[in-house]
Amino acid sequence: MNQIVKDFMVTLSDYATTYKGATLYEAVLALETAKKDVDQTVHPHWVVLVLDENDEVIGKLSQLNLLMALEPKTEYTAVVDRLDRFGFSSKFVASIRETSLNNEAIDNYLYPDNLAMDMKVDDFMKTLSENEFIDENTTLNSAAHQFSIRKRLSLLVTREEKTVGVLRLADVFSALITAMKKAHNDEGEPA
Amino acid sequence: MKAIVTLFERILQRVNINLRELGFDATPYIHIIPIGQMIKFYGFYGITPHHPLNFKFKNSNLAGSYFLGRCQVNNAILYKSDIRGDELKKRGDIFQYNDYKIPVVDNEEIQVEDSLLIKTLVHNFSHDPESLERFFIKDTISMNHSNIHGSPCEGCFIGAFATADLTTMHDCVIGNFAYIQAEEISHLNIPHGTIWVRNPGKFNFYYQHPQEKLNEYVYFSAGSPPQGKLIDFVADRKEAFQRVFDVVNIEQLIPVPSSASLDRYSVTRGQTTIGENVLVAQRAYLQNASLGKGVNVQENCFVINSNLEGNDVAAHGAKIIEADLGSMVFVGFNSFLRGRPDNRLTIGENCIVMPHTIIDVNGAVNIPPDYLVWGLIQSEEDLETHSISIEEFTKVETRLAMGNMFFEGNGAAFIEAFQDRIRHILKANGAFFNGAEKKGHAQKNQYISFNTIQPYPEGNKKGIFPTIVIKP
Repeated sequence: MNQIVKDFMVTLSDYATTYKGATLYEAVLALETAKKDVDQTVHPHWVVLVLDENDEVIGKLSQLNLLMALEPKTEYTAVVDRLDRFGFSSKFVASIRETSLNNEAIDNYLYPDNLAMDMKVDDFMKTLSENEFIDENTTLNSAAHQFSIRKRLSLLVTREEKTVGVLRLADVFSALITAMKKAHNDEGEPA
Repeated sequence: MKAIVTLFERILQRVNINLRELGFDATPYIHIIPIGQMIKFYGFYGITPHHPLNFKFKNSNLAGSYFLGRCQVNNAILYKSDIRGDELKKRGDIFQYNDYKIPVVDNEEIQVEDSLLIKTLVHNFSHDPESLERFFIKDTISMNHSNIHGSPCEGCFIGAFATADLTTMHDCVIGNFAYIQAEEISHLNIPHGTIWVRNPGKFNFYYQHPQEKLNEYVYFSAGSPPQGKLIDFVADRKEAFQRVFDVVNIEQLIPVPSSASLDRYSVTRGQTTIGENVLVAQRAYLQNASLGKGVNVQENCFVINSNLEGNDVAAHGAKIIEADLGSMVFVGFNSFLRGRPDNRLTIGENCIVMPHTIIDVNGAVNIPPDYLVWGLIQSEEDLETHSISIEEFTKVETRLAMGNMFFEGNGAAFIEAFQDRIRHILKANGAFFNGAEKKGHAQKNQYISFNTIQPYPEGNKKGIFPTIVIKP
């Protein structure tokens, strides 16, 4: 694995992006459009990057973030959400959430109304932390190690402080499999 | 007054440093406190033959505060607070913690250091198995009408009408009107109106007061003083206490049986009657109250136009108005139970009213005997999601959810823990005194001498009390 990160990253221009101030619906469309664009590849996009007015990445939106944004939010759900901090078992909290979702009043929450779709991405995007970034010249070996210890599905690739692309775990893993196969075959060949 | 201002800022800084991880800044909450008030009142302490005596006060302001037992105060401001050390452990006691029987090697002492306590009650003993002889309150701010009950704490901010009960706390913010009984917590920001009783491995009870409705009763945000119906209720009766603090030798206005104790710093008005073995603590307010045998009215309680049949407990800060309580009713800390003259509140015998319960009704409400009650109740209908018969609750083996109340664990263990504690409270307070044995606070606290102490009247140290050491 002598390659470096920039050989495997998806450039920012090929990635699903939206802008600060966009609505949840616009973010979903961006994700869908980008998914169509890369239909020929093995691994589709699953994250929308949020850009500011200078095209700098300021946040990320995963499918999970989008689903969480659509969850019903009431004073009651806020109470349930914090039960795990107060020593309740995850089984207990899950059962309370299940009961709450079965409540007729919020039965159709997965088909959100305009109010939900008009929520601004700024309000539910994941803001970036220091360990989200990796330099484009990092070796793939080191990148694989970074994924392992940072426990992330993607890292933002930087060139002199500017974000230029996204390195996805799936792409690194594909390279790893290829390298493993090559090593295995090389060992198996007769001298 | 330079010294007291410096002290004030020093305490604030230390608390903020401890709470930096939670992003909490106590500054706007306490800068509304008029420091001028801190120099107006004397401090006082009690002496009895029943409690080990050892006071040490250093570089502190103790305005209007009361001390009993063994207590050390360093670099602290205690405003109209009660530091009641009559339940501290004694040398030779054995402290039971889980399977450990831990010997107590010295008389326990309350140690308040670098802290600001406003109208706070400190009582009971340290339940921290790691600190048996030292009940510490360090780098902590507690606001109006809060209770620190058997809860050593370090680096905490305790909101108005909040209670920390039998819980060691490190670097926590306890919201207004929150009640916490959870053994040990750290780095938690507890929302306003949270009621949390947890015994790990056995049970976990959690209730959340609805925020908007709670704000009507207790509201305290940055930059403005505490507000709400509970604050108004207490403020409306503040003047009644003026006389008991102004007069040195005060006469009891009503007959008190020889087995009962009516604290000289309590207020009685109207047709109030006191039964055998009754204990009425300091800063309690009784007006047209009928207290049957063994009733216990603790600090900062109000009982108005109400009948308590016998062996009832009004825990610290409870308020009972226009109500009739059967025997053995427990009313938890800071509860506010208000009926109306023509629509009285009735609570049957053996009921447990959870700490920080608000029952404020215009129509008549009748709670049957043997019920567990919690939360905010403003109508008879609210009882459906805020009460359950103790028998039903005892059958809970895994979990229960009713409205904003969540319970996980064994219901029988939870009820048993409460009932054990109620029996302990009654016993400790002398409710079961038979004329010769089973003496408690009601009998022992009759013989207390009170001494007053005063701060520097002028100069840089104005408001600071001189270093004082009081020993037997």
